[in-house]
Amino acid sequence: MSELALFLLRIGLVAVLWIFVFSIISVIRSDLFGQKVAGKAAKQNATQVVSQAHIPNPPTGPVRVLQESSAPSSKLATKLVITDGENAGREIALDGRELHIGRAVNSDLVITDEYASTQHAKLVLINDEWLVQDLNSTNGTFLGGVRVGIPAVVKLNTPVKVGKTVFELRA
Amino acid sequence: MSSNVTERISKIVRVVPRNRNTELFLLLFAFAINAFEIVQVQLSTLQNVNNDFWFYWGALSGAGLLLHLVLRLRAREADPLILPIAVALNGLGIAEIYRLDIAAIANHQTELFAEKQVIWTLVAMVLAGAVVMYIPSHLVLRRYVFLAGAVGVGLLLSPMLPFIGKTINGASLWLSIGGLTFQPGELAKIALTIFFAGYLVQRKDSLAMTGRTILGIQIPKARELGPILAIWVVSLLVLVVQHDLGTSLLFFGLFLVMIYTATGRAIYTVVGLGMFLTGALVASRAISYVTKRFDAWLNPFDDAHYNAIGGSYQLVQGLFGFAHGGLLGTGLGGGVPQLVPLAESDFIVASLAEELGLAGIFVIFTLYILLVARGLRIGFNHNDDFSKLLATGLSFVIALQVFIVIGGVTRLVPLTGLTTPLLAAGGSSLVANWIIIGLLLRISDTNRREVE
Repeated sequence: MSELALFLLRIGLVAVLWIFVFSIISVIRSDLFGQKVAGKAAKQNATQVVSQAHIPNPPTGPVRVLQESSAPSSKLATKLVITDGENAGREIALDGRELHIGRAVNSDLVITDEYASTQHAKLVLINDEWLVQDLNSTNGTFLGGVRVGIPAVVKLNTPVKVGKTVFELRA
Repeated sequence: MSSNVTERISKIVRVVPRNRNTELFLLLFAFAINAFEIVQVQLSTLQNVNNDFWFYWGALSGAGLLLHLVLRLRAREADPLILPIAVALNGLGIAEIYRLDIAAIANHQTELFAEKQVIWTLVAMVLAGAVVMYIPSHLVLRRYVFLAGAVGVGLLLSPMLPFIGKTINGASLWLSIGGLTFQPGELAKIALTIFFAGYLVQRKDSLAMTGRTILGIQIPKARELGPILAIWVVSLLVLVVQHDLGTSLLFFGLFLVMIYTATGRAIYTVVGLGMFLTGALVASRAISYVTKRFDAWLNPFDDAHYNAIGGSYQLVQGLFGFAHGGLLGTGLGGGVPQLVPLAESDFIVASLAEELGLAGIFVIFTLYILLVARGLRIGFNHNDDFSKLLATGLSFVIALQVFIVIGGVTRLVPLTGLTTPLLAAGGSSLVANWIIIGLLLRISDTNRREVE
């Protein structure tokens, strides 16, 4: 082997090793910053797939009904609309499957502010009513201004607050 | 019927295989780097590429691909970076050990390591695959917490047994059964991590909350210190009877890290470190082998220590290797790392530093940092304390080993006989570290799937 070839191999290996390190770092980087757009788009597609009936793990135990009077029942809700916060204006189609809310990238509704927990809350359809269940979040989930303890029924057009984000269910 | 179909479609849509594809890409990259390394070794030492390449390259790559398939089948959501990093490190180790073997053959030495290393890599990776395949969730391990504790302490102390215990180079760390030697301490660290995690989940509240405050510092109750004392005694026993400073430091350090993670109280770390340092200092005066290690560490270039048996010769040769490597290294096969005793195991970092230079050794450090950071991240992502503690503990086992070994070789701390995870020659170490990798992959998968 010529000296030059060995020299090139020597420098080449160190260079390739650094490229490897930086491709790992770029994956981490895209996990932190870049995935947002792609991830949300994928989730939106996923939640738009319509399927009924199947409800995994319905929460057991007592169910509290908030604001029994005025607001219409949530069985007619077809979409979740974000009214305040970073993603204000975004809509997510509801299809009967449960919907996870939190900072985790695999949540159906990803909330990226520091007041939200990784797995903050979830919405579940039971007996034609949408229930919101707080998943032991640090800062709580508020339904119509009241902190959610046990799973509570979400009526149409009632603001639900998770971190800085507020959303409502609409027909 | 139709709802069934849409159900299935929605599931397909929901599973984003992004993780596994990223992993495959990085894995192929790691295989390519590994091929580069082995070709370079052969070109610069043998002047041509021969068929041995397929053995040294193919085994690791095949096993890596197999593990990747296992993850695709059984742990789709597992962390995508851990496997490529581990494969890259392991490959680097195999290439360097192979290179040292070629030098050894040229010197008519008979003790070779590379083939054994490749075979142990296969065994270890198959075991890691088995961990991912057959442990459905790491939470199962919680059932065996006290069993793990007993097994861990048993393994740790087993080299003291008569007949099967074996002493090599002054340290009693080996079990020898039917010609096969094994370092039980390597597996003990996994068992003890499981035990610490389970134990601390139960006791963390009483450890964190109780005690009185004196001068603004909360002093824990005396009886809460009992277990710390017990672990301290065991780790000093390892130091005194087995003559192994590294293992003893590793276990005590691991325990302190985990108790700090569980309680968030620095007092345990401070008290624990104080206790360990006191014990080690007393030992350094009282036990001759520790005294030697300390002297070699403090004055390695002193003639008396340099020429003494078990003195600083090895350490100094390693430092010369670092110096010879310089910024860009001599290239794999271009240096003389074989001059350092145990260049293939304890001093693999010095060998790699000589041949890859500062630029290359920093790649290795960065890979370890990324590996440990991913592990800590996995723990952080979990909601339950057991998973948090287990992932943190397993990552710190790797981190502490790297610190103790590389700190020893670079003369930051006294030199000890631990192995560099995934790089150094040694079957038990490879098996244990690949099992840790398997467990971390398993923990990360369960984490991401919890939500679904």
